[in-house]
Amino acid sequence: MKRDHQDIGGGRGGYPAVTGADNNHRNSFGVPATVAIAEPSAVTTASSLLSSGVYDFRPIPPPIPASGSRGVYGADLPSEMIESPREPKRMRTCSSSSSSSPGGIASGVMGLSTENASSAKSAAGLPVVVVDTQETGIRLVHALLACAEAVQQENFKAADALVKQISMLAAAQGGPMRKVAGYFAEAIARRIYRRCPRPGSDRAALDSPALDDLLHVHFYESCPYLKFAHFTANQAILEAFASCRRVHVIDFGLRQGMQWPALLQALALRPGGPPSFRLTGIGPPQADHSDALQQVGWKLAVLAKNIGIEFHFRGFVAASLADLEPRMLLELESGNKGDRGDDGEEAVAVNSVMELHRLLARPGAVEKVLGTVRALRPRIVTVVEEEANHNGRTFLERFTEALHYYSSMFDSLESGEAETAEGETASAAEEQQQHRAMAEAYLGRQICNVVACEGTERTERHETLGQWRWRMARAGFEPVHLGSNAYKQASMLLALYAGGEGFRVEEADGCLTLGWHTRPLIATSAWRVTAAAAATAAVTAAVTTR
Amino acid sequence: MSSAYEQPLLLQQRGREAEEEETLAAITDNADLMAEVLGRLDGRSLAAAGCVCRLWAAVSRRESVWEAVCGQHVAGGAAAGAQARPVVAALGGYRRLYRLCLGPALDRLGAGGWPAARLSLSLSLSLFSIECYERRLGRERGHPLPASLLFLGHGNPVDVS
Repeated sequence: MKRDHQDIGGGRGGYPAVTGADNNHRNSFGVPATVAIAEPSAVTTASSLLSSGVYDFRPIPPPIPASGSRGVYGADLPSEMIESPREPKRMRTCSSSSSSSPGGIASGVMGLSTENASSAKSAAGLPVVVVDTQETGIRLVHALLACAEAVQQENFKAADALVKQISMLAAAQGGPMRKVAGYFAEAIARRIYRRCPRPGSDRAALDSPALDDLLHVHFYESCPYLKFAHFTANQAILEAFASCRRVHVIDFGLRQGMQWPALLQALALRPGGPPSFRLTGIGPPQADHSDALQQVGWKLAVLAKNIGIEFHFRGFVAASLADLEPRMLLELESGNKGDRGDDGEEAVAVNSVMELHRLLARPGAVEKVLGTVRALRPRIVTVVEEEANHNGRTFLERFTEALHYYSSMFDSLESGEAETAEGETASAAEEQQQHRAMAEAYLGRQICNVVACEGTERTERHETLGQWRWRMARAGFEPVHLGSNAYKQASMLLALYAGGEGFRVEEADGCLTLGWHTRPLIATSAWRVTAAAAATAAVTAAVTTR
Repeated sequence: MSSAYEQPLLLQQRGREAEEEETLAAITDNADLMAEVLGRLDGRSLAAAGCVCRLWAAVSRRESVWEAVCGQHVAGGAAAGAQARPVVAALGGYRRLYRLCLGPALDRLGAGGWPAARLSLSLSLSLFSIECYERRLGRERGHPLPASLLFLGHGNPVDVS
């Protein structure tokens, strides 16, 4: 447990709550004396548990020791607890200069720096309450982390009490932090009460893929992450398809097909004229058995026809990508052997936007899918994934990572909106707000999955770019650098976003990441099969066809 | 009455004035000349010019004029233009391209201090194609406005649609 604390303390600031000036008396989790009191019983339950040593706090060195007059927790705690059982915790401040970050409260929370505490000391016993947004934000984060730790230790009573405190703190807070805390609190509550939403239950209607698609569209429209992903992936595919007369794109998650109009347009305008274009779209089974894939394919076909590209579409319904066999996708190609003629072989591109991480829920699935991809002999494989490690071994690791990640995400959603308010018509601003609310709901579902679900139901198993690099290399792929065109396009796209000063496009070893301030949030990478792996595959294919 | 003597004078004067007016009017009455001139304006000025009179309004709605306006701002030049013409026409036309994508993008970039001349045609066309596609999708779902370009901002005061 101490190790866990150290992990949190090392990079991100002190734990438990490092808040409050000396003159502010706080109870265990920093709820100011005036506010506390909707549920005094809950508070005392928590504090009594704490004093009983079940919830044992270890001393942690403050992250940025600013002045020597601050005490160390461990030394002070026991004596305080003995002195005043009703106010078991009086946290010593570790004050550092408050970070006035442009990114709002979330960034302040990231560094977990505290407010510059006013040095005036009141007489002992006189609570002086200063409710400050940044402080409440920090207390909120600490409450969330404390709650997660309680859950990890299976101390569900303490966790439950903390969830209630979190809700109160969140209500006092404003802005993106409140929403993030709300979603996390709800997710923890679900975990405590084992109410993980699973498909097939009576909540099936709410969890349907159609709803997910709708929220996804709003997420697409309210922030640049998906547009960035599509533009950079398309640029890589376009460059890989240069001078090919027949091209085939396999999209692992077609949804509404928003990625493809731009690629079709770019292919139509490329020097040398457009190729003949085939699209294979893969999607989950729909609850109402409607043929959503075919409808999307039809719309894209109309667009392609208007701009003069020969277009073919095929949709595959698959509950999981691991259900796909190379034969199914390759069959399509061999079936058209007749009309290959002078055009030569079909160039294949595989595109996966935030789909691969779901496979990590089942052992062996991702290896199988990467094997399938290899068997297709693609010119290029574009992979876009969330840049975060939400697949750590312990719950607390995942929770902490997710808290930081989604705080940044929500922060970026909020800021984009504040800037567009000027010069906008009222209805446009309102529509932006609606999109943002739906985008937040979309992210909320992810949060719920990361926190409340386990095993095969926990599908949002995000991993970092480094981890994916290792996986892809092990599966026989080598990276393809994304190039300066993709970087320039992405930068220009981000420049068009109001409030876009917070977004950062960065290049990392040939991959592009888009992040909010210093935190990368989404990463695009491109891959091709190594010569060695291709040779092995050719041999295997030759052997099996004999 | 002096009219008997003045009338022939006046008629002569009017004749000469009419001749002069005819010569002057010829330039601005010629639609193709006007198209050449208006194609060198920037988007806002062109939209404003369309409010002057019916002839100017008709000329300012020509696709070729807006094509010239779009061409001013993008890297790539005339060669790209000829190939792009049918595609842009299929997606909705240059006037729409400027109104929805290029114009707001230039405003945004100009405000941010980017050199506007470096705006790439491919980026604008990508956004435009997404908008066109979304419009078709939206028609089925009954949505009033495609939203993928909302981020560019549509508060343009001069909106000649």
